Amino acid sequence: MIAELFTTTVLVGILASGIRLSTPYLFASLGETFGQKSGVLNLGVEGIMLLGAFAAFYTTFITENLWLGLLAAIIVGGIMGLAVAVISVTLKAQQGISGIGIYLFGLGMSELLFRKTLGTVEIVSGFSSIYIPFLSDIPILGEIFFQQNLLVYFAYIMVPVSWFVLSKTTLGLKIRAVGENPEAADTLGVSVSGVRYFTQIFGGVMSGIAGASLSIALLNVFQQNLTSGLGFIAVALVYFGGWRPLGVLVGSLIFSMVNALQLWVQVLNIPIPSDIAVMMPYVLTILALVIAVQRVRPPSALTKPYERGG
Amino acid sequence: MNTSRWFRWVWPAVPIAGALVVTSLLLFLFGAAPFEAFQAMYQGAFGDQSKTLSVLAFWVPLLLSSTGLLITFKAGLWNIGIEGQIVMGAVAASWVALNLEAPSAVLIPIEIVAAMLGGALWAALSAVLKTRGNIHEIFSGLALNSIAIILTNYLISGPWQPPEGGTFRGTAPFQPSALLPLFANSRFSPLSLILAVIAFILVVIALRGTFWGLKLKAIGVNLRSAFLLGVSSEREMILAMMFCGALAGLGGAVRTLSWFDSLRQSISGGIGFMALMVVMLANYRMFLVPPIALFFSAVLSGSITLQLRTQLHSSLGGILTELMVLFVLLFGDWAKLGIFRKKDDDG
Repeated sequence: MIAELFTTTVLVGILASGIRLSTPYLFASLGETFGQKSGVLNLGVEGIMLLGAFAAFYTTFITENLWLGLLAAIIVGGIMGLAVAVISVTLKAQQGISGIGIYLFGLGMSELLFRKTLGTVEIVSGFSSIYIPFLSDIPILGEIFFQQNLLVYFAYIMVPVSWFVLSKTTLGLKIRAVGENPEAADTLGVSVSGVRYFTQIFGGVMSGIAGASLSIALLNVFQQNLTSGLGFIAVALVYFGGWRPLGVLVGSLIFSMVNALQLWVQVLNIPIPSDIAVMMPYVLTILALVIAVQRVRPPSALTKPYERGG
Repeated sequence: MNTSRWFRWVWPAVPIAGALVVTSLLLFLFGAAPFEAFQAMYQGAFGDQSKTLSVLAFWVPLLLSSTGLLITFKAGLWNIGIEGQIVMGAVAASWVALNLEAPSAVLIPIEIVAAMLGGALWAALSAVLKTRGNIHEIFSGLALNSIAIILTNYLISGPWQPPEGGTFRGTAPFQPSALLPLFANSRFSPLSLILAVIAFILVVIALRGTFWGLKLKAIGVNLRSAFLLGVSSEREMILAMMFCGALAGLGGAVRTLSWFDSLRQSISGGIGFMALMVVMLANYRMFLVPPIALFFSAVLSGSITLQLRTQLHSSLGGILTELMVLFVLLFGDWAKLGIFRKKDDDG
């Protein structure tokens, strides 16, 4: 039975769905990386994802236009990011708890809206697969990498873009400075609040898109608690990735590949308890955390609101 | 001083009022009359005896978890993993209930001890990962929450599935002697309330009146100077987490042995996260914790009736509580901005 897993078709299937499943993690974790780099921990990613997923789904359901759906998720995500910024930056709230508040708010609000507007589980036809010319014809590799939907490509483009912005641009330098040593950044004329507002709104938008990638690209449905803990994993993946986009990519891939493997194990009826398989990514994360944390250090000002010394 | 002291005790009412206003606006948007809705909510919480008992039954595990969190917050720990600790307490109690056969007087104490151990050990994992692995308790807590929930799903759909086949909903009901004695025809167990009150009093005494409480405070305020003064920070942090986990685990046992009669998929129902909100709203003032927890329970129970009366979904209750917390964040900061500058020394 186990041998069935090691046929080419199945392996290609696992890898392709692993790539696909990593999209929501990638969007959410990359956005959160910007936020944490600037010193703000947003634990409410899950709640923003739910609201984004609902906004995208409902708009698409009504207008039958996927782009409007995506736009709705971006707007809702941005507004929620702004709310996080007001709470964490301006009001200097305890970030560990305010994020849980945002999560519970998103959970309740998306459920209430879902009940009031849709009521039942509906289906939309989401972003379909795009076959990249020539590349998608490459045997095996083409099927794994180049027959995915638009948001998958977008997520993977965001990895090098995030790396470039964080490591090679003035904006990235400001973000890192604000997260490592806000006093020094402030002295040099960098607006600590301004940078943090930017990263939080950007993180909110990315979380919104992460939600949309679930509701109008991967699953094409919306139901209560659609994300079921995915946003929390995304936050942990930032930690795992050592606050680097490439690390986040590795973490997301490990997580989604193991998930894809577990899905195929179920599809093929291999007698491994599926819950044990579902648990594997989480146990891996903890182990990886133990190893990863030994070599990287979080941004010094993470979770610390900035106040000008008197 | 007197006015500011008075302010400090009264201000939790301000965010509640703010949240009510915003919720009213939401109700308007959904085409319901706010006053009637709140009336329905109140009716749903305290309308008759059985509803009040249901509020109390929800209150007990919430109070237990919030009480536990008072300990970890005192030590400066962010015990986000409390949700998983509640679940593991419920799992441990269920294990006893499913595997031992004994009269209630023997079985229930064993279940309670097992639940407290289960929660405490799960919390200890987070604590050791922090002190030895240098992993922030927020992140290990998030992962451990997920693992605890998946473990429950595995047990329900695998080894502990009811004989008539797995339904993914829960195990078969436990033997009657394993369940907590209930008050009249409700889900409320007076025994659990007694335990929660004892736990709360003991924690207040421990944090306010003992050297241990002082050590935790030292760790929470300044880890480094506490260490220099000779406080074993590792030991105290692990202990604080384990005490919190034990109380959360007891809360889980109350959920599984009186609210439900079996181990269910969503055994905690977010009580751990809600307890974080309660402690936040109380702004770490211990005596505000029981009334605020009671208020949250009433809002959540009441919103179920609201759903029946006004066709609004019960998730509105959740939104109301979350709005309150957001308003607390707002008004909590007013304190920082200098309305009452004097430092809170009696906490």
